[in-house]
Amino acid sequence: MTAMKKWVMILVSALLVFSLAACGGGATNSGSSQGSSSSSSSSSSSDSGSQAVSSGEKKKLTVWYIDTGKRKELIEETVQEFMKAHPDVEVVAEQIANDTYKTKLPVAMGGNNPPDIFHSWGGGWLKAFVDAGQVMDVTGKIDADSYLPAALNLATFDGKLYGAPLAMSLTLFFYNKEIFAQYGLEPPKTYDDLLNIIDTLNANGVAPISMANKTKWPGALWLIYLANRVGGSDIFNAAFERRGGTFDDPAYIKVGEMIQELVDRNAFVTGFNGLDYDTGQSRQFLYTGKAAMELQTSGYLTVVRSEMPDFEDKMGIFGFPAIEGGLGKATDLVGGVSPVFSISSQTKYPDEAVELLKALTSKELAQKYVDHAGVVVAVKDVQYNDPFAVQMKELLEQSDFLQPFYDQTLPPEMAELHKDTTQALFGKSMTPEEAARQMEEAAQRMLGN
Amino acid sequence: MTGDAARIRRQNKLGKGLFLLFFIGPALLIYAVYNIYPIFATFYYSLFDWTGIQTAKTFLGLENYANLMQDRVFFRSLGNNVLLVFASVFTQIPLGLALALLLQSKIKGMRFFRTVYFLPFLMSTVAIAILWMFIYNPTFGVLNELLADLGLQSLQRSWLGEKSTAMGAVIATICWQFVPFYMILLRAGLAGIPEELLEAARIDGCTAWKTFTRIKLPLLMPTIVTSATLSTIGSLKYFDLIFVMTEGGPDSATELMATYMYKQAFRFFSMGYASAISSCMFILAFIAAVAILSLDRLRSRGGY
Repeated sequence: MTAMKKWVMILVSALLVFSLAACGGGATNSGSSQGSSSSSSSSSSSDSGSQAVSSGEKKKLTVWYIDTGKRKELIEETVQEFMKAHPDVEVVAEQIANDTYKTKLPVAMGGNNPPDIFHSWGGGWLKAFVDAGQVMDVTGKIDADSYLPAALNLATFDGKLYGAPLAMSLTLFFYNKEIFAQYGLEPPKTYDDLLNIIDTLNANGVAPISMANKTKWPGALWLIYLANRVGGSDIFNAAFERRGGTFDDPAYIKVGEMIQELVDRNAFVTGFNGLDYDTGQSRQFLYTGKAAMELQTSGYLTVVRSEMPDFEDKMGIFGFPAIEGGLGKATDLVGGVSPVFSISSQTKYPDEAVELLKALTSKELAQKYVDHAGVVVAVKDVQYNDPFAVQMKELLEQSDFLQPFYDQTLPPEMAELHKDTTQALFGKSMTPEEAARQMEEAAQRMLGN
Repeated sequence: MTGDAARIRRQNKLGKGLFLLFFIGPALLIYAVYNIYPIFATFYYSLFDWTGIQTAKTFLGLENYANLMQDRVFFRSLGNNVLLVFASVFTQIPLGLALALLLQSKIKGMRFFRTVYFLPFLMSTVAIAILWMFIYNPTFGVLNELLADLGLQSLQRSWLGEKSTAMGAVIATICWQFVPFYMILLRAGLAGIPEELLEAARIDGCTAWKTFTRIKLPLLMPTIVTSATLSTIGSLKYFDLIFVMTEGGPDSATELMATYMYKQAFRFFSMGYASAISSCMFILAFIAAVAILSLDRLRSRGGY
């Protein structure tokens, strides 16, 4: 009896050891292949070699992107055209949902199985991968002159270019023209105008500003704009690059106070810190006429068009107003670039990947984006016809400074802290001084003195 | 002769062992690869400073754990987890038991109610989360509308948007989700109580309350202990609903260990630190499970 048990035990544990050893072996294998791939890129992982064999003689490139709706169709079209023009290349373009993507790409990079071309927003998020040696330097391989410099800057680190931009997003006010007309309001030129509008709307029982701040970035848009208008164009970069500026600058504290004053003035809809942007909880207020405006990125337009096309007729846009006595210019814009396409340093076919990268950020695709998706693009010499896009492009042309979203520029942990402290400012669970102190403390730890 | 018999018996046993292994083997292999190996791998990674996106790791020893012990957000999330454990064990199981008892009574249309009560458990967590986000919506939500209709405007809150109410609102949703599960589990337990016992009690003139406290409850104890173990461990590892509803906010008010671990791993790219958090989760869940099971052993030795 006991002897039998012993036998079974031995077998079972042998099986266990075997399976563990198999895993351990796998782990060391991938480790060593990574070691060699860092010395010579041609000898990268052996398993992608077997992939190429299984798909015939074609060179296989994978693309991960997050664009949805019409933009997804346009990317698919471009990929098809690319394959027609390059019969020896097979492109697998995979669309991934935004939030999933943020998890999926790091895992793929960590597991040494990244896509050849991947989406990013440039800035700090991309830099984390650049620092990890996962991104190919494309300086000189693509024509930098065909992109807007403000957009290209977000993919440039230490003077080297690590990707090419396609579309841009600007942050603007989207407002209900009917409500504004009803109460005799005009889009504000100055911040005081905006405060007057808020008071008028409140007096008439309309919530002035809608916001869904559960995911924290919508509130951060306010902080970024206010900081720009109060502290000037350079306030963030001076603090981020650690050249004289700090995140506990009096301007940042003033901005925190202004945010809390807005909250006290009932500028925002009730319970905004718990509302979810993705499920439309802020747009609901505008669609139903319960709120008059919302500060959002230009992607708002695409969402409105698919979600509530009727609202488009009532909708207008205006830029963030100037603040009297502030150092910033009223023409400065807060925005970002999405997508920036970059090439993995582990790609087996760097030349083909560069060609595909060019196709994915070409003038032709950019023109289609403008015509069919109503966005502004990071590519030069494109014709605008969509009335909203024309207006956005005008704002962009007047502007000589684009302030990128902080959370796409800061290192990931500080980006999170920036959004957390801003949400806490809006929720009045943190004082402006405390928020600024935490940011500066993290900056000193992560960015140096 | 006796030697032969012993040999034959041994061979039979060996055959039986191999036979069993044949069946257990594949499952065991998968279990080892996908459960046991990752547990040890997590402990291993927790000893490193590692971003998770590059192969270079720096050995830190126990520094991640030392940092964890000084991390305010971690302790807040641990506190929220403990709160969730108590709320789950002391609301989900009693409510589940009450519903199970109700469903045993012979009322007309009971099958309909049984289905209705079980529905929440059949819904996907994300759907539940979004549904309740709409219920809690401060302006359009059913809950605040209901309070207004009852003339209780003073009780209206932006449930998920305020630090003071967010955790409670989320816990209520979690309970709503899991009560049906314990209801089914306990109903199965109740169904397993022999009819003779209940009949004997009835003949002896036992009241309904006494039948419950003296017969049903003691006989249900093993099921309740299993439920408590499941509920405790589940609450310590809880992630999805909270992540969808609040992302741990506002201002970390609903942060759990698992959501914090996710943020460390995939937002801050500190995979080593995240591994330390999940190791702690594993240890805590393990201790909790052992504690409950040994309490149960004491209880059954005590004869109650």
